[in-house]
Amino acid sequence: MSEIEETLKRISSHKGIQGIVVVNNEGIPLRSTLEPEKTTHYAATVLQLAQKARSVVRDLDATNDLTFLRVRTKKHEIMIAPEKDYMLIVVQNPNQD
Amino acid sequence: MSEIEETLKRISSHKGVQGIVIVNSEGVPLRSTMEAEKTTQYSASLLQLAQKARSVVRDLDPQNDLTFLRVRTKKHEIMIAPEKDFMLVVVQSPNTEA
Repeated sequence: MSEIEETLKRISSHKGIQGIVVVNNEGIPLRSTLEPEKTTHYAATVLQLAQKARSVVRDLDATNDLTFLRVRTKKHEIMIAPEKDYMLIVVQNPNQD
Repeated sequence: MSEIEETLKRISSHKGVQGIVIVNSEGVPLRSTMEAEKTTQYSASLLQLAQKARSVVRDLDPQNDLTFLRVRTKKHEIMIAPEKDFMLVVVQSPNTEA
């Protein structure tokens, strides 16, 4: 467990990190640094997006696969690292002081 | 028109760029450096993905909006720049030797 804590702490220490969510394949958040309502919202919607992205990638080339997804928005960047049993979501605003 | 050509040429000259597609908001490819079949496939599926991404962003925060999308895959990276009337898609494999 402490390895997870250390990783979350390491990521949180980067400039502008607004939140980190670890979601399992069913969209259930396993860990989060965001408040519960936001966590659930992010978990559900971002999981769907990652699944759509993965299916687009495989559609275009059946031997390829999604490894990472970066959603840049006006306010921040949402980074999604999909793994076999879970997904890591990090929200960062690098311009934040 | 030549400004578009110059931009496409400039982007193509980057290392590992495998293809560029300009798609309008209906999914119709306006320009492409890829073959026709691939162009159509990329246009249709990536437009859907960009629309989905935009709707996720606005769902999470109605005042926010999508500005760019990077889809990293095992073989390459697909970069999507959505604009009001069209979308620019660039496929690049950074590991490819020029």
